[in-house]
Amino acid sequence: MNNTFDFSKFSHQSKKGILVIYGNLLYKFFRVSWILLFLIFKDFSKFTDQKLIYIYLGIGLTLIFILIRGYLLFKNFQFKIEKNHFVLKQGVFKKTNTSISFDRIQNINFKQNIIQQIINVHEVNIETAGSNKTEISIKALSFEKAKALKSQLTSSKAVLEKETEKVVEKPFLKINPLELLKISLTENHIQSLLIFVALLIGLFQQLQQVFKGLLKDNLIADYIKESSNSFHQSIFVLIVFVILLVFVAILSSFVRVFLFHFNLTVFVKDEAFEIYQGLLTKKSFILKKDKIQNITISTNPIKRILGISFITFKQAVSGKVNQKKEKLIRIVGCKKEQVEKVKKILFNFSDVDLLEKKYAHFHLKTRMYFRTSIFLLFINIAFYFMFTDLKIFLSNFLLVPFFIFFINLIYKKRFYKMSDDILLVGAGSIETHFTYLPFFKVQNIKMKQSFFQERNKVVDLVFQTASGKIKLPCIEEKEAIKIYDYTLFKVETSKNSWM
Amino acid sequence: MFVNKSVSSFPSVTEIIFKNINKNYLKVILLNIVLLFSGVLTGLFLIDFFNLFEEVHNYMYLIYITYTVVFIIITLLFFVGFKKRKFAVREKDISYKRGIFFKKLTTVPFSRIQHIEVDEALFSRFFKLASLSVYTAGDSSDDLVIKGITKKEALEIKEFISQKINE
Repeated sequence: MNNTFDFSKFSHQSKKGILVIYGNLLYKFFRVSWILLFLIFKDFSKFTDQKLIYIYLGIGLTLIFILIRGYLLFKNFQFKIEKNHFVLKQGVFKKTNTSISFDRIQNINFKQNIIQQIINVHEVNIETAGSNKTEISIKALSFEKAKALKSQLTSSKAVLEKETEKVVEKPFLKINPLELLKISLTENHIQSLLIFVALLIGLFQQLQQVFKGLLKDNLIADYIKESSNSFHQSIFVLIVFVILLVFVAILSSFVRVFLFHFNLTVFVKDEAFEIYQGLLTKKSFILKKDKIQNITISTNPIKRILGISFITFKQAVSGKVNQKKEKLIRIVGCKKEQVEKVKKILFNFSDVDLLEKKYAHFHLKTRMYFRTSIFLLFINIAFYFMFTDLKIFLSNFLLVPFFIFFINLIYKKRFYKMSDDILLVGAGSIETHFTYLPFFKVQNIKMKQSFFQERNKVVDLVFQTASGKIKLPCIEEKEAIKIYDYTLFKVETSKNSWM
Repeated sequence: MFVNKSVSSFPSVTEIIFKNINKNYLKVILLNIVLLFSGVLTGLFLIDFFNLFEEVHNYMYLIYITYTVVFIIITLLFFVGFKKRKFAVREKDISYKRGIFFKKLTTVPFSRIQHIEVDEALFSRFFKLASLSVYTAGDSSDDLVIKGITKKEALEIKEFISQKINE
């Protein structure tokens, strides 16, 4: 079946690809110029007929220009396979010729955004080791062709395996919409709300820049000021506001989970996970075992009752790590046995879970109390200057127990365990996170000790990995030095490559 | 299990003999501080001389006193802190420690090093000093930098590590 497509001669993308490229260009154009368009159309009613004709003409010309550009891009995008190299010719005016040898190809991922889903083509992304520039994205291929290309690019023996495997393969994990609903309702809503607010602020700032110069004094800022003034006055508005906030929070986590994780399916193939998910943009990617630096298993009280948790994989990114953001991949809605299986596949577990927990030194709690007191002091100073009504200081009666509760919770959840190969770090407040880090994945290690810690003979340990830091705060100095030495010993004697 | 392992079987950081960085680097640090503070002093002087801010004019002496105190404290901190800056190269890793009130010790195993850089800043060049930066695949801002060793030593360490990596 893989020979039905001949890649030895140059071939184009699927013809429908013009539509995808066109859509992409339009989207890019719109993203750059939406403010301009908005400004033109806000006085739409004031335009004379003659002006309107010009505007329509302008829009028409732009659309045609983009279409021509899209067509040319499509026409000039050609690829073939030659002598174990993937060769790509592209560019309208500036032609580039890229050739990638098979060994440098790290991953081949499929993706489908909404246009691509409608016209039923797949986007193929070829990730390579090396600089970002050599990352290749083929926007539109029919599924068969995409699969054929993939199997030809990956080594020939892998092709055979895949054929036989496909038949018996059962997904390791499949989440149906009902389960997804359960997951989304038990998400960390505060986090979702924050993401949503961050999005809004971004939009707001963009709008504000426009309004600043062009409309009478900050319209939006005034509006917000007005509404916030009235919100001070009435408790009723406050309650409505809180309910609204809760609603928005739940809704935003609901939308977020459904957008990203819709139809989440995970397959396990001996050394890798294959993950498919997404509603508007369907994505498929492969997580190779070697590239995973550490995993975090998280849950929260409601999720625990339902018996689900999510796993976050932290992956080292190929090529220039410093330039790209670390790659996070989350699998939501894992049942207990699935979590166990993931752990078994990834690390050789010498029952790190069964070991006794070691807790952080009491100094951690003292430090948190100290920091929060300073924070509270600042809040109170701010209160003093911002509000005339001194009743505002009563809110301390609410804040103080709130902080005490959280400090105790955070302290209680901080622990670590270590087996021969794995360090397990527990953390969290309302949510609980367990991070598993194999020692040989550590890049460098730090020991920090402040003046206050010195008196208590405790230190902070920081493990740096290729995908972020893992901290172990306030553990006893003697113990820390042991861990420090042991980690270095493990890293320096390890034969496994960290990636 | 970890506890069962005899701890003494592998080398400990507590046993490393750390080396101080080159004494001349203290001069570089002092030069930098003096340069910075003379810039600020010039600014203060101009404000005083041209009477730029009416309100502060009467308190100018207070500002000068604060300035002097800050200058002395910072110089002292660097002076004491200088003695705490130490490094060590072992057979399989490189370590660096610093800090008076906030102590910090970093160790990078050779097997995780991506590349090494030797830089010479302007003042350092007068004293034939250099800084050695070691990069891993981790967060680059947080890797190991040893400032103020002789250029010769920096290049030697670089050579040593490169050899070890290629083994």
